[in-house]
Amino acid sequence: MTEAYVVGAGQSPFGSFPGESYRSLFETAFERAVESVDGDLDPERIDEAFLGTLGVGGRQIGLSAPAVTEHLGLHGLPTTRVENACAAGGYALRSAVTAVRAGMADLVLAGGYEVMTDASSDHTKWWLGVSGETEWERLSGTTFAGVYAQMAAAYMAEHGATKEDLSRVAVKNHGNGAKNPNAQLAFECSLEDAMNAPSVADPLNLYHCCPTSDGAAVALIASEDVVGQYTDDPVRIAGVGAASDRVGLFQRDSYTSISASEMAADTAYDRAGVGPDDLDFAEVHDCFTIAELLAYEDLGFCDRGEAPQLLEAGTTESDGAMPVNLSGGLKSKGHPIGATGAGQLVEAFKQLTGSAADRQLAAPKYGLTHNVGGSGGSAVVHILEREAAR
Amino acid sequence: MTAAGLAAIGAYAPRLRIDAEEFEAAWGRFDAAGVDEKAVPDADEDAVTMGVEAARRALTAADASGAAVAHLAFATTTPPMAEEDLAARLCSILNVPDDAKTQTMTGSTHAGAQALDATMDGGPFGEDIGLVIISDCPRGDPDSEVEHAAGAGSVALVVDDDGPGTVIERASHTEAYPGTRFRTGGDDRTTGLGVTQYDREAFTTTLGSAADRLDVPMETVDAAAVQSPDGKLPYRATGALGVDAATIAAADTVSSLGDTGAASAFLGAATAFADGAERVLIAAYGSGASATLFVATGSVPVNAALDGAAYLSYAEYLRRRGEITRDEPEGGGAYVSVPSWQRTIPQRHRLVAGRCSACEALNFPPTGACTDCHERTSDFEAVELPGTGTVEAVTTIEQGGAPPEFVAQQSKSGQFDSAIIALDSQSGEQTVSVPAQVLQATDEVTIGTPVVLTTRRIYTQEGVIRYGFKAQVASQRR
Repeated sequence: MTEAYVVGAGQSPFGSFPGESYRSLFETAFERAVESVDGDLDPERIDEAFLGTLGVGGRQIGLSAPAVTEHLGLHGLPTTRVENACAAGGYALRSAVTAVRAGMADLVLAGGYEVMTDASSDHTKWWLGVSGETEWERLSGTTFAGVYAQMAAAYMAEHGATKEDLSRVAVKNHGNGAKNPNAQLAFECSLEDAMNAPSVADPLNLYHCCPTSDGAAVALIASEDVVGQYTDDPVRIAGVGAASDRVGLFQRDSYTSISASEMAADTAYDRAGVGPDDLDFAEVHDCFTIAELLAYEDLGFCDRGEAPQLLEAGTTESDGAMPVNLSGGLKSKGHPIGATGAGQLVEAFKQLTGSAADRQLAAPKYGLTHNVGGSGGSAVVHILEREAAR
Repeated sequence: MTAAGLAAIGAYAPRLRIDAEEFEAAWGRFDAAGVDEKAVPDADEDAVTMGVEAARRALTAADASGAAVAHLAFATTTPPMAEEDLAARLCSILNVPDDAKTQTMTGSTHAGAQALDATMDGGPFGEDIGLVIISDCPRGDPDSEVEHAAGAGSVALVVDDDGPGTVIERASHTEAYPGTRFRTGGDDRTTGLGVTQYDREAFTTTLGSAADRLDVPMETVDAAAVQSPDGKLPYRATGALGVDAATIAAADTVSSLGDTGAASAFLGAATAFADGAERVLIAAYGSGASATLFVATGSVPVNAALDGAAYLSYAEYLRRRGEITRDEPEGGGAYVSVPSWQRTIPQRHRLVAGRCSACEALNFPPTGACTDCHERTSDFEAVELPGTGTVEAVTTIEQGGAPPEFVAQQSKSGQFDSAIIALDSQSGEQTVSVPAQVLQATDEVTIGTPVVLTTRRIYTQEGVIRYGFKAQVASQRR
């Protein structure tokens, strides 16, 4: 089985862009991804495309992925839309890796896109929370924020965590995002700001929630056979893990962990032959600040109940031993649902290829991306390795 | 059959109240004489949900279950659906057998009397029972006498062959008196022409003529529960009925609940029996006009939840009434079709969980692979849950944050709690988790709070009301 490599990755800015469409945003991400390749990459050589989107707003529901590739002029390309809620982009990436490893393709376009901010507020209401369990969970009046708030309440009750712990995640990620020119909320915030924002779904306030976003992200995945044509400093996809769980929180074994994340991470570590201690950084799925705390534990960065301490000790800060969400995360960078998983890969690729500008780590070798669908109904973890010795 | 047994009465009124002074402050006057305060249905309450509350209490007081009901009659002037047999939903929620005879009476405040009359005629019941559910929440235009008086409440009577109570006598009178209180087709506001003397004559003549047909000496009744569209009109009928004002006052509910429409006289009887009365005149009247009088005797068990628990400002009242609120927003993105909702009715109405045949874990809803052992068992054993449980996780959905299906509710009632509840099994040895809204409570809802489930409107879509369960903090259950 051949290895799979990331040879290029790029994203559009994440934010609210009334002048852009999902296709034009994707075009920007695609051009940036192609530009990011060391050597020359001829788009004609792309064998296949996997594109993630939830389809918020109900624009092009059927065949939206071919609608994107035709816009790019990739005529005749086999193109598949991947839907796994907020993990759609991560799963699109995984599908690309699978195609390469299976020997079906040498160069695959993976990515995602979403436009969430151009609809009326009434129409948007209908589309938020569509990835929760519909018949029971949604009809208990809860929302996407509400389900994560229930997890936060359970976590706080179980481990004695506080709103201050939740708020610290926002402060850290805004600090990182302020250095990211593609971030939607690229400003720093104080702990006081994050503590005192208006409540959305208790205990979560506005600063504990990611924004709704427009954006697209793209990764170009190459096989071992062709990677040398594009770069002599390759970034290998060392391990991929993915898992599903009950869509509704109420049917899960735990409300204070996301077992799909845990299972996906176990698989990814196993395949990559590395553990959490080997990682130099991680991009984790912080759609709500509680989600980042749960991720620390689900991904094995610390023991159960110790995420607040890990954060407070500075370990996950940009200058800590294990920087998390250097891009600003979903919290600050933005969360255009289908684009998010691929967007995480863009940051990892930049870090590993030394192109992360103000956010650049010294000499990272291993990075992890962690993308969750809904409140934990699906998760996918990628471990990336810069093969060249530092 | 002339006589019938009266096994028990259940009564319910919404916990929300508004004081007459709030109307005076808003309008400069209050047009419902004799009403001090009144009950207000919450956004998720209607004649069906209030009826369920009264029926469950009546069945408890009678030590009976829905399974024993052979005849169910539902009466209201405010059916939540103008066309559809709402008795079918009541039977489903109350677990009444599917061969029970059902009737729905509406059209005037006389409907409650018609329901009791018909149910008595449905006997003898033998081991079974008849269940009369009378539930009403009238409304009028905001500046009208009808609206100022309009309250809410429900009452349920368990009818059997031998009591402990007995309806010993009944008599009716019908005579055409158009235009005293009416509602035109398609309107949800009751009105009247306000022809004062004519309205009083219709009331007293009809009740008095029915009273003339009764064989019971009126001086023997402890309380006279008289139809009360306000707190003054019933006393106009003292002469016609042959009872004094104190006897009518002994069955007063209008002063604290407002005009409870078809339930009015029966709620009066419930309070009178609860206060120890042993012989009660029930004098029900409906515009048009018809009256039926019943004389009930004995020590009738009453299970009533009529006390108020939260007082509204007039602005909050207008929100609850839907006068200044919005409906479900346009659009779509998530959708639960009516057929798929209908398939889950055993769970939503009666908490039917399933026990996995492989590992015995409880599943809710009982469908697909077991949530515990992941075995795909096609034969979940149906297990009805008692409806008690504990909050496992909870959040507050702030004003403006509700999903579109709940925008109308939130517009009327404000923020609400949404929780995951660990529901107890009958044996108490197992639990199974369900998501549910938690009714507004005076205490904070936190993890570990004990709750009981109740039936409420969940949401209305495409014109179809969907009823299901919500949780109520156990200590706040009245």
